[in-house]
Amino acid sequence: MLELIFVLPILTGLTALFLPSNMGRGMLLIAALLHLQLSMMAWFGKLSVFADRFFALEPAGMLVLLVTSFVFLCIACYAICYMQDTEVSSEPVFIGCLLLFLGTMSMVTLADHPIVLWIAIEATTLVSAPLIFIHRSKAALEATWKYVIICSVGIALALLGCFFITLSIDIADVDVALTFTSLNTVATNLDPLWLKVGFIFVVIGFGTKMGLAPMHTWLPDAHSQAPSPASALLSGALLNCAFLGIYKVHTLMYLAGLGEFSSNLLIGFGLTSMFVAGVFIIRQPDYKRMLAYSSIENMGIIAFGVGIGGIALYGAILHMIHHSLIKSSLFLSAGNIFIGFQTKLAENVGNMAKFLPKTFLSFFAGFVGISGLPPFGIFISELFILLGAIQMGHPVYAALFIFALILVVAGAAQIVTDMSFSANVGQVIGIERYLRVVPPYVLLAASISLCIYMPEGLYTTILDTITIIGGTIHG
Amino acid sequence: MININELIMVIILLSVLLSLASNRLVALVKIMALQGVMVSLLPLVLEHHSRMGSGGLIFFQVMILIKGVFIPALLYVALKRITIKREIEPIIGYHASLFAGLIIILLSIFISEKLHVSMASGSELLLTTAITTMSAGFFLMMSRRKAITQVIGYLMLENGIYMVGTALTKHSHTIYVIEFGVLLDLLVAVMIMGIILHNINHAFDDIDTDLLNSLKD
Repeated sequence: MLELIFVLPILTGLTALFLPSNMGRGMLLIAALLHLQLSMMAWFGKLSVFADRFFALEPAGMLVLLVTSFVFLCIACYAICYMQDTEVSSEPVFIGCLLLFLGTMSMVTLADHPIVLWIAIEATTLVSAPLIFIHRSKAALEATWKYVIICSVGIALALLGCFFITLSIDIADVDVALTFTSLNTVATNLDPLWLKVGFIFVVIGFGTKMGLAPMHTWLPDAHSQAPSPASALLSGALLNCAFLGIYKVHTLMYLAGLGEFSSNLLIGFGLTSMFVAGVFIIRQPDYKRMLAYSSIENMGIIAFGVGIGGIALYGAILHMIHHSLIKSSLFLSAGNIFIGFQTKLAENVGNMAKFLPKTFLSFFAGFVGISGLPPFGIFISELFILLGAIQMGHPVYAALFIFALILVVAGAAQIVTDMSFSANVGQVIGIERYLRVVPPYVLLAASISLCIYMPEGLYTTILDTITIIGGTIHG
Repeated sequence: MININELIMVIILLSVLLSLASNRLVALVKIMALQGVMVSLLPLVLEHHSRMGSGGLIFFQVMILIKGVFIPALLYVALKRITIKREIEPIIGYHASLFAGLIIILLSIFISEKLHVSMASGSELLLTTAITTMSAGFFLMMSRRKAITQVIGYLMLENGIYMVGTALTKHSHTIYVIEFGVLLDLLVAVMIMGIILHNINHAFDDIDTDLLNSLKD
C-alpha cells in the first residue's frame, strides 16, 4: 500500500510525542530506515495505490520523495547526536514533530488531488512550527510567528488558486476527476482564463512556502532560529515539496498551451529571488542566515530553469536534487560549528581549519559545492540551465543569471573564508563527535557520486518528469 | 417572503463590518463564532448544493461545530490567558476601518459584476460576500497590532476563500473527506497559533506585533 509511506511516519510521530526521549531516538532512526525502504519499494513499483482518487506515484513526486527520504535518514542520525549535545528542552516533541514533518512531506510527494496537495503542504507548515520554536527564545518565537502567519496566509491564497483551477473545469464543462493525472489528459479543454488566474495564485501561495522573493521574508528568520537538523530539513526537503506544487500546476499549464505565460512568470520570480538573495547575502553577520539566503537563491535558480524549459529543465531537476544534498550537509556542518563555538555570528567564528578540522572540511567542501564548482553536481546543473537559456534564445536572461550567481558566490565566499581562516576567535567549547561529523560527509559524497554515476532508474525518472513538458537532455 | 440564503449573506456582511469596528477582543471572538456558523450554513441553503446525502449532513454538522464552537473556544482560551482585553491604538482607527469596510463592499460588488462568472440563480450576492470577507480579513491583519487580531484576520480570510469555493465550484468536485482535511488543517493552525501566542505573551508580557521586530536585515 503506497499510503504507508506517509502513514508510517505520521503514526510513529504521534506515538513519539508520548514516549520518553531515549525510546524516541531509537524510533526516529528505525522510522527513517523503514521510510527509505518503503520509498525504494515504491520506486521499484512494489507498492500499489489504495486511494487512487487522491494519491498517485508520478515521476516528479518520486524524485522528491527519494531525496526527502535519503536526506531525512542522514539528518535523523545527526539529530540523535545533536540532541545529546545541546539540551533540547522537550525532546519528545522535537522527535515527534520531525517524524510528522517527514510524514506530511511524503504526503505532498504522493498527492495527486490539488486540494489534498494543499492540505499536505499546509500541514507541513503546522508540524514544522514547533521545530522552530523548540528553544522558546524571544527570537525563535518571533521567527515561528512570522513563519506560521506568512506561510498560512500565502498557502491560503494557493487554496484560492486551486478553486480557480476547479472553476476552469466547471466552466469548460468537462467531466473529469479532479486529479492532476486526469486533468493533464484534458488540459486543452480547460478554460484558459481561469487556469491563468489559478496559476498566479498558486505561484504566489506555494512560492511563499518555496521562498521565492518577494514572499521570502519568513525564510531567513526561520532557518536561522531553528535548530540545525530542523533547518537542514526545511531547506533540503520542505522547499522541494513547495516547488513540486508549483511544478505540477506548471505542467498542467504547459499541456493546456499556456506554457509561455507560466514560464515567464517563473523566470521573473526566479531572477528576482536570485538578485534579492545576492543583495542580502553580502556582509550577512549570521552564518545560518547566509545559508538561508543561499537557499532562496537556489530556489530562484530552480524556478528559472523550469521557466526556461528544454535542456534547462533537466538542469533544474538535477539542481533540485543536488541542492537538497549539499544544502542540508551545509546546515548540518553549521550545527557542528554552532556547537563548537556557541555562536551564530560569523565574526566570532575563526580559524576553523585548526579548531574543528573535520567540520571545516565538510563546511568548506559544501561551500565549494553550493558555489557551483566541480566536482559537485551543482556545477553540472547550472551549466545545463545556462546552456538552456542561451539555446532557447534568452541571452539577456543568461547574462542576468550569471551576474546573480557571481553576486551570491562573492558574498558567501567572503564570510566563509573569514570563518575558516581568520585568527580572531574566542574559544572552542564543543568537541567534534563521530555521529555528527559523518552525515554531512555522506550527503556530500552522494552529490559527488551522482555526478560520476547516475543509476539508470533515476535517469529515466528524470526524463519521464521533464519530457511531458518539453524538457530534453539532447541540445 | 424572506430569501433565506440572502439573509445569511447579509448577516455575514454585517459580521464583517462589526468585526472591523469592534474594539473589544472578546466581542471579536463572538463575532467570529457567528460568522463561522453562518458560513457553514451557507452551502446547505444554496440551490446547487441541495441534493445531499447523510454523509453531507454529518459533515456540515462537524463543520458548524469546528467553525462555530471549537475555533472560537480556542481563541477564547488564548484570550483568557492573556490579560489584554482591548485592542489599544490600532494602526488604522475604528471609524476609518468601518469606512474602509464599506469601500471594500463596493469594490467587491464591482469586481464580482466584472467577473461574469455564470452562477446558479440566487447566489449573485455570494461572490460579493466572499470577496468582501477575504479582503476584510486581509485588512484586519494589516491594520491591527495585536497578534490575536491577526489570527482572527486569517480566519476571516479562510472563511472568504471557503465561500469562493462554494460559490464557484459545483458539488461534484467537493468530496467531504477533502473538505474535512481542509477544516482539520484550519483547526490545527489555530491551535498552533494559540500555543505560540501563549509563549509570546509569556516571553514578552504582551502580544503586540511591534515587539516582534528583532530579526531583520
